[in-house]
Amino acid sequence: MNQADGSNRRLFWRRVLWGLVWPRRFERIQPTISGVVLIGLSLGIGTAAYNSASNILFIALALLLACLILSGVLAWLNLRKVEWKLEVEPPLQAGQEAGLSLLLRNGKKFLPTYALWFEFAAGPFERREPSRPESTITAKGIDVWAALSKVKSEEQRGTVHLRTRLDPGGEARLDWMFTPPRRGLLKVELRGVGSLFPFGFLRKQAGTDIFRVIPVWPAPVEYRRLAGGSPRRPEGDHRLARVGNEGEMIALRHYEVGDSHRLVHWKASARKRRLLIRQFSSQNSDACSIWMRTDAAVWTRPEQFELMVSLVATISQDLFRAGRLHSTAIDSGARVAAKRLADLESFLDRLAQVRTAPAPTAPYAPPAYPTRTRLNVMTFEPEGTRGVAAIVNGIKTAAT
Amino acid sequence: MESRPQRLNLDELHQLRWLLGGLLMLLSVATVFYLDIGSELMASVVLLGILVALVAPALPARVPIWAHRLAFPAIVAFFAVDIRITGQLLPAIVRLDLLLLLYRGVCYRARRDDLQIVVLGLFLIVVAGVLTVSLLFAAQILVFTGCALSLLMLVTIAESNEGGQAPKLAVKGVVPPWASHVDWRKLFHRLWDISDWRLLASAAGLFVGVVVVSGLLFMAIPRFQLENSLFLERFITKRAMTGFNDSIKFGDITEITQDDSIAFDVDLSDPAQAPALPYWRMIVLDEYKNGGFKLSAALRSELGRERTTANILGIGPGAGRTPATWTFYLESGVSRYLPILGNFWALRFREAQNVRYSPDMAIVALRDEPAAMTAYRVEGMASDGIEIRDRAFAVRWRKRGLVGPPLQIGFDLSEGDKAAIARIDAAVGPPTSKGPQEFADRVMTYLRRTHPYSLSPQIPEGPGDPLVRWMASGEPGHCELFAGAFVLMARSAGIPAHVVTGFKGGTWNAYSGNYTIRNSDAHAWAEIWDGARETWLREDPLAVAAASDLSQQKGDAAIAGLMDRSWSARLNSLRVFWYRRIVNFDQQSQADTFKAVKEATGNSGKWLRTAVSEAAHRAKVWFKGPWNGPRIARVFLACAGALGALWLIATGRLRLSPVAVGRRTDPVRREAGRWLKRIDAPDGLVAELQRLRYGPVPTWPRPSDVFRRARRAASSSRRRRRASSRNTS
Repeated sequence: MNQADGSNRRLFWRRVLWGLVWPRRFERIQPTISGVVLIGLSLGIGTAAYNSASNILFIALALLLACLILSGVLAWLNLRKVEWKLEVEPPLQAGQEAGLSLLLRNGKKFLPTYALWFEFAAGPFERREPSRPESTITAKGIDVWAALSKVKSEEQRGTVHLRTRLDPGGEARLDWMFTPPRRGLLKVELRGVGSLFPFGFLRKQAGTDIFRVIPVWPAPVEYRRLAGGSPRRPEGDHRLARVGNEGEMIALRHYEVGDSHRLVHWKASARKRRLLIRQFSSQNSDACSIWMRTDAAVWTRPEQFELMVSLVATISQDLFRAGRLHSTAIDSGARVAAKRLADLESFLDRLAQVRTAPAPTAPYAPPAYPTRTRLNVMTFEPEGTRGVAAIVNGIKTAAT
Repeated sequence: MESRPQRLNLDELHQLRWLLGGLLMLLSVATVFYLDIGSELMASVVLLGILVALVAPALPARVPIWAHRLAFPAIVAFFAVDIRITGQLLPAIVRLDLLLLLYRGVCYRARRDDLQIVVLGLFLIVVAGVLTVSLLFAAQILVFTGCALSLLMLVTIAESNEGGQAPKLAVKGVVPPWASHVDWRKLFHRLWDISDWRLLASAAGLFVGVVVVSGLLFMAIPRFQLENSLFLERFITKRAMTGFNDSIKFGDITEITQDDSIAFDVDLSDPAQAPALPYWRMIVLDEYKNGGFKLSAALRSELGRERTTANILGIGPGAGRTPATWTFYLESGVSRYLPILGNFWALRFREAQNVRYSPDMAIVALRDEPAAMTAYRVEGMASDGIEIRDRAFAVRWRKRGLVGPPLQIGFDLSEGDKAAIARIDAAVGPPTSKGPQEFADRVMTYLRRTHPYSLSPQIPEGPGDPLVRWMASGEPGHCELFAGAFVLMARSAGIPAHVVTGFKGGTWNAYSGNYTIRNSDAHAWAEIWDGARETWLREDPLAVAAASDLSQQKGDAAIAGLMDRSWSARLNSLRVFWYRRIVNFDQQSQADTFKAVKEATGNSGKWLRTAVSEAAHRAKVWFKGPWNGPRIARVFLACAGALGALWLIATGRLRLSPVAVGRRTDPVRREAGRWLKRIDAPDGLVAELQRLRYGPVPTWPRPSDVFRRARRAASSSRRRRRASSRNTS
């Protein structure tokens, strides 16, 4: 038992010593010019000390080495108990400046934190299986440098410095502004935290694993409304219930899929043994339903497809603001009501990731609409080689 | 209202950086003054320039641009000319360093320039330390390290405040914003205001940690014995500041005695061997010519050829017979001849030295005067030094008249002078069969009777040798005249004799336990040859009988008479500690230190085990003792008390930690509570005090500010009360 204890203790101390020497994962320490000078000075003084056997030089050498040790200790203390949290406020839209915030907190009791910088990166995020690691030396058939260069060119990087000290128990907020270049899933991450503190001998950088994947909505695009393009009022006394209606109740109607449950008139429904909902005077009847199709056969030019997606996003937001957006659908997917902001945002999130789909083997079935409703359905077609037009009931209502 | 802690703004950071850089430069330039390389004037000019620029940081903007352009070429040209003229590399490099520091001191600095001044300053301090081995080096390097680290930290923080960009260097001729309105007093007030005692204590603790770690590293760095040492001393030439050369004119030794600075210190491993009146021999001067004594060429040849060695073997009694080890720390500028008491068994240096020595004459001479403190250890040395065995001279004395070098009998004087000496000898009387010591006693008595002692002797004018004229007169004289006269009289009587110069006596440092010998202890005496014993006998014409008895004393009685407990002894003990533990620290010392640490650790473990076992035994004996009522009651109460305390701690009613966790024990909350009870303050201040008393810590305003305002409010309300009571009365 004693032998095992002894060997365990030796193993423990060996691990501790190795941990002090071997750099930790994601950590990097590089000497700066001052650090190189200090190391050179130490080597020079050490050589002179051994050459001359002068204890004065040994003292100077010991002091220099002690300063290096102190630098490491202070650098470690500086980063200790510093917490950070990455916050990104959606929505992000392509081509529009967005910001992310880093909330910092110094958990130490009486030591402040100085001179930190934070490295951010924002780049496209692609979900795929993790590939095996490649090396530029042994890579076969893969142009690794080209891949790295491509990633670098698509990525935005920035560094934000903590300009003031972070007091013990104090908090700070750092903002980094960036502009997503295009729609899609964007990965924003805090790549690393660095510091030259305390003496600027060593550049200490610690990597972090903090990131957020955020959808970037399509960029807004300018379009023109065309005369005669206003949506037709649907026939019948169909009214569309929307949440947050105003005005007096003017009628009751049967429940249709997508109607809000808050509008259900329970007494009347119990009497009639059928769900009935309340209709108000201010309900809009010029509603429109957007149906976007992504046939690759139709959208042969990628830039035209992107323009179409941007137009869909812009029009859907305009219609929603005007209270006229009824529902949305993409290809043969289910129609989704757009009653609340969350519905619109969800649609825009889907638009952020939509891609051209291969042409269907059978013609598309339009999304199912309530049988008693004939909505204005807006679709989109290429116009020329560069433009996109929005069509409602066969009439061009808007175009880029 | 939550007040944010104060911080220095960017301008104040730059001002502080300027201040620290200037202090660094001043500190390092000051070392040149005790390097003794003849650059004191230049150092003064540089100091003045740096000081002026430091105090008025707007002035460097007035340096014309052409001066900046010409600065480096001029400095390089100066260096080249300096080397050409003086031929000494190290002093030229030091002067180059001074010029570079001056230039940096009168220019606005970027980060790399701050680094330059750190490196340049460190060079000066280290060179001064290596050359002088002075204790002051320790203080200087520590202060320098603290200032340099603070400067570099400030530079890092300032850069961070500027968003990671290096501060833009001011355009030449333009005053940067931080330098245009510097108020140093205001800056110090600001520093005082924002200083936090905890941060300062942490900084001080860290600095102490650096010193301790550097001390441990110093002891732990492995030492190897390499040849080719003392490289820096080759690049600088220093003359001995004292007159201990191999020829003296009368008055040289007396001049040395005017200087009270320390010549050397001596450690003795066995204080029981410490003599009361040691005579530290340095040089034997056997040839008298042209009114002065010198080391003759023949005797010089006895020193043998120069060797490079770290160990010299002598003919002394041997380490076994006199186990004491004497360690000498000879200051620079004393002499290249090493002071020792007499014959020795072995003399060792820390590293190999170029020496010439004569074990018979007990003379050891280095090749050059050492530019720094020189340490050496002597073993097997007789502590009284009354007799010096000289086997070589004994052989020549036995073969005298046949062949061989001069026998230290003759002197190069005129017949008239020789006759005058003979007349004086006649007054003393010739040597008898009792031996040369008896003759020497008569000569010394005669000299003391006829000549009083004086440090300012008057040698009568006239023809002939000056020493002979003095001997024939009744004028007072100093030790050289007495010794010289003794030698001439002994030689005239046919007894070989020579003059010895060195030091006599010294003091015993009560704090560090070592001899301290000053230049004022310089002395000259004589030695005469005792053919029967084949030894040189020490004869000091100025030593009275009591002093002769004193010279026989050893040990505690001897030390008691020499004890020095003055302030200078206290300061000198620091220097001796420096020499012992730092400068003289070598491989052996390292091994001894590790051994001592190991022994101390082992001993402390043994002591602890012994203490524990003894305590256990006592407890056992106590338990076995007779149990009576009072004993049972005591045990019961003790157990109850212990259990009660444990219960209180376990239930949290009693906290052991001195750091307050709860609200009641927090010192800030306690003080806030006291102020709330005492003062009648404005609502804002009361609210802040209440926040400190009851609020959560993150919402606290700065306690020191609040308490300061509370104190002011208390004193103003006291004044109001006094004023109102005076009005009513």
